[in-house]
Amino acid sequence: MITVTINRKKINLEKPVTILKAARMAGIEIPTLCNHEMLEPFGGCRLCLVEIEKMPRLQTSCTQYVTDGMVVWTETEKVVEARKAMLEFLLINHALDCPYCDKAGECDLQDVTAKYGPATGRFAEGKRRHPESFDDPIIVRNMERCISCTRCVRMCSKVQGAYAISMVNRSSKTFVEPFSGGRYDCEYCGNCLTVCPVGAIMSRMHRHTYRPWQIEKEADTVCSFCGVGCSMVLQVRGNSIVRAVPRETGGSNKGLLCNRGRFGYDYVVSSGRLDSPMIKRDGKFRRASWSEAFTYIAGRLKKIKEDSGGNSIAGIVSGRCTNEDGYVFQKFMRAVLGSNNIDSVASFGYAQAQRFFEGIFGQGVTANSMRGIPNSDGVFVVGGDPTAVNPVLGLQIRAAAGKGVPVTAVGYMPGLKIFAANRPMPKPFTETALLSAMVTELRNIKGISGKGLFDKLIKDIPPVSLGEAEEVCGVPSKDIRSAVDALSRMTNPSIVIGMDIIRRTEGQANLLLLAALVSLLNSRIYLLSELPNEQGLTDMGCLPDMLPGGRHLTVESFRRRYEEFFGVDIPSSPGMGIMEMIEAAHDKKIKALYVMGEDLVYSMPDSAYVKAALSKLDFLVMHDIFMTETAGLADVVIPSLSWSEKEGSYTNLERRMQIVRKAVEGKGMEEWRAVSEISRLLGFNMDYKSSGDVIAEIAKVSPLHKDITYEDMTGECMWPYKGEPLRHGISLEDIEMPDKGSLLKRPEKDRIYIGVDKPLFHFETLSRNSEALSSIAPEPYMNVGKALAGRLFLAEGDSANVSTAAGSLKLSVRVDPDIPDNSVMVPDNFGDKGVYAIMQWKVNSALKAPVTDAEGVTIKKMKHAAEEVAV
Amino acid sequence: MLSENTVKEIGLIRSKYHDAQSSLLPALYVVQREHGWLSPEALKEVGEILNVPKAEVKGVSTFYAMFRHKPIGRHLIQLCTNVACMIMGSENLLNILKDRYGLEPNGTTVDGRFSLVVMECIGACGTAPAMLVDTDFHDNLTEKRITEILESYK
Ligand code: SF4
Ligand code: SF4
Ligand code: SF4
Ligand code: FES
Ligand code: FES
Repeated sequence: MITVTINRKKINLEKPVTILKAARMAGIEIPTLCNHEMLEPFGGCRLCLVEIEKMPRLQTSCTQYVTDGMVVWTETEKVVEARKAMLEFLLINHALDCPYCDKAGECDLQDVTAKYGPATGRFAEGKRRHPESFDDPIIVRNMERCISCTRCVRMCSKVQGAYAISMVNRSSKTFVEPFSGGRYDCEYCGNCLTVCPVGAIMSRMHRHTYRPWQIEKEADTVCSFCGVGCSMVLQVRGNSIVRAVPRETGGSNKGLLCNRGRFGYDYVVSSGRLDSPMIKRDGKFRRASWSEAFTYIAGRLKKIKEDSGGNSIAGIVSGRCTNEDGYVFQKFMRAVLGSNNIDSVASFGYAQAQRFFEGIFGQGVTANSMRGIPNSDGVFVVGGDPTAVNPVLGLQIRAAAGKGVPVTAVGYMPGLKIFAANRPMPKPFTETALLSAMVTELRNIKGISGKGLFDKLIKDIPPVSLGEAEEVCGVPSKDIRSAVDALSRMTNPSIVIGMDIIRRTEGQANLLLLAALVSLLNSRIYLLSELPNEQGLTDMGCLPDMLPGGRHLTVESFRRRYEEFFGVDIPSSPGMGIMEMIEAAHDKKIKALYVMGEDLVYSMPDSAYVKAALSKLDFLVMHDIFMTETAGLADVVIPSLSWSEKEGSYTNLERRMQIVRKAVEGKGMEEWRAVSEISRLLGFNMDYKSSGDVIAEIAKVSPLHKDITYEDMTGECMWPYKGEPLRHGISLEDIEMPDKGSLLKRPEKDRIYIGVDKPLFHFETLSRNSEALSSIAPEPYMNVGKALAGRLFLAEGDSANVSTAAGSLKLSVRVDPDIPDNSVMVPDNFGDKGVYAIMQWKVNSALKAPVTDAEGVTIKKMKHAAEEVAV
Repeated sequence: MLSENTVKEIGLIRSKYHDAQSSLLPALYVVQREHGWLSPEALKEVGEILNVPKAEVKGVSTFYAMFRHKPIGRHLIQLCTNVACMIMGSENLLNILKDRYGLEPNGTTVDGRFSLVVMECIGACGTAPAMLVDTDFHDNLTEKRITEILESYK
């Protein structure tokens, strides 16, 4: 026990902390400028000086640790004089343009100067001039205001791991700069903006639009740009969002955000927003009233149900919909339309992976707190770059690496490049061979009891030697060996799985191999989730065979529970999944499709095929916030609300339930509200007045969400809530043992494969409507490796044609030496210029998931326009 | 582009240090010796070779006065103008450089032959005034001597 006295107050501490921390714990404020909770102590500004008895000089309280019996004074005359002197120095070169500076009102320097500072300085020399830099589209840099506290640099390097900026020059000429001196070309997380104590670096997005005290409303909500669900505050003035900032405490992100969350919100005010229901007649949309649209939808659905049965109707939910939307929609499909044909984009891999692992290890096995990653003793990543798909989760992996935890990153992961100790780089789509060899080796090292059901299964996986794997995937045996050795020493590693490894012909084998790794290494599983509420929709029963709470539809007792609650029967056999629905539409086996917010044409492979399928439907209903390609094919379009315009809840990839709050008013309608209106017209009473009424019903009927309320969702509402998860035994019936041939499938010789790139700066096709994100990354592109670029005479910035049997795209070329040879990566965010436009329709029938591997392409360099003229 | 030799030498330097950051200063010296200054491209390349983020390379290199970030002439004159040298006539030498070569402190001759920096005491007060040309040391400078000396640098 340590006892320290600060300003006569006695403070007892279990372990030593800095004087600053001890003081704050006791409610004593000490001014600081260079110190920040999220960063290591620095001791640069000397504002936090305090007097310690028996010590001759003043000490910086942010770096000095307490010792037992220490007596500290924080506001003596000597201290106050020193602070004043420090401020006088800091202000020599400070612009002092507070009346014009956006930071005024929330500026630390302004606050401490008001309290301690000299009213005038004694330095007669002129101030340093440094014109404000507008070279970057997002961040405006005013180095006349910089006080060289290095908070931004420490944030960028030590926490974000981007190392994009540094302090340049020396002494009074020091300032902060990105390498280029102009554009940042960084990860644009904006976390440096969070920590800058003054107005030296600020977002251009709200420049001179408001003063901090003019904020009228703050909505405490979560981000909707990926499955991490960072907690954030939307600041509002005059019904428009002026800024998105991270919530300092709680949630999974602990004060961090990524570029999408921080700057992407401006799509909400994009001019393309739909503001009225539209009905298409004679091939032309015209505006309709809400009641007209609902009556029309109800009428058409009723007729189709009467003529062809409920089974001829299907529904798809977007991962941006809330739990409340999902719950009401599945109820509508099942109870009102009599169809289990309901699914969501979570079935592009996430739901299948979760089901597979839960089948083996039990429900909730993927529900792990992200914060556990840096505390594990090893991280294994496969199937996608977490720092791009789920950026803030990616930071946890970087933090782990920073603590010396070995990270193994399999495949192309630019964001982990300097953080991974092991980076095996298999040839395109040959991870299966690599994983097989790893499982084989680990099985030998660890030995398996052979008792458990799954142990038996692991035993049966055909052995693959290091040599055999090397021959197929090209990773040298010794590298596989060292990765295996590193893994075998771990006792509680984290395995992070991206969806790319599941969207494969060998998707099921990959899942089995990964489950074997999990079992052999006793590790925690993290599934990367591209959308904010994939988990929630899965838990809400937006699946063809699952009811809310993860209850199987085919189990009679479960089904009965819901039937009694809904007051109607539910069809007892599972419906179609999303892939089957599109095929059924193509084969005219379904007549109507109800889509809530998913631009299907561009969010799954083979745009032409999907478009043709949707065009064959008798009736397509679409909810969305923009007139997307898919919405253009619909018969009725209902304008939705963006996430910042509605209330509800999301469940993130850790299975953390969090509240989505309304910040601004929108012109659309919540999906649950629209669907309940239509239900009523179809004679089924759904009487929800608010999203709270919906969650109340969920809390009653879903055993997993028993008694849950919004009050519970404080940011720490974690699985298994107060509910009853299913702890059912292992269900291994569906698991097919892959044969050795499929584990060792080689890439075709000389074939160039195309893969889906997941860029950090974009999200689905939605982010193209954000001016901010588009200004960072405006253009579609193809990413090729150095060797291939060399063979095809391609250089950075060239334009080239990439084509498959399904079509071709003209794109600008990027050369990245880390891309495996013979592969080209194209992002999926650019609609008709995205990868899905030219990828062929392929389904993994066991997983009912899309297959995005094995697609061969030809690439042809295009002549520059100038050259063409010259020819 | 760094020459093959420079790249090799940097690799060798790297192998002598425990971490990459420590090898940065000696690596930058090697590059400056080859190019005369540190261009943004060169900083980037050094970063890539050593696996040190390029922004950090820039931060370090701009901290130290001995690294140059603007191209300089073929020969660098470092003329002392501190007390002893000033008393012994360094100001006059400055004028000569200006008249004869059009050379001002921190400037470069039009033909790219000389660049000039003025120094604070280079430790030759006893034989002042003194200067360095590249790495050669010259003291007891007079109007005549400085011209002769400079004429030997082409
Ligand atoms: S926005 Fe993020 S990546 Fe860019 S400089 Fe700031 S902290 Fe670094
Ligand atoms: S820009 Fe801001 S955070 Fe960065 S050093 Fe300057 S004052 Fe500190
Ligand atoms: S990591 Fe995901 S949830 Fe967090 S700010 Fe980025 S996009 Fe939003
Ligand atoms: S806050 Fe302690 S020195 Fe800056
Ligand atoms: S003053 Fe010129 S060398 Fe010392």
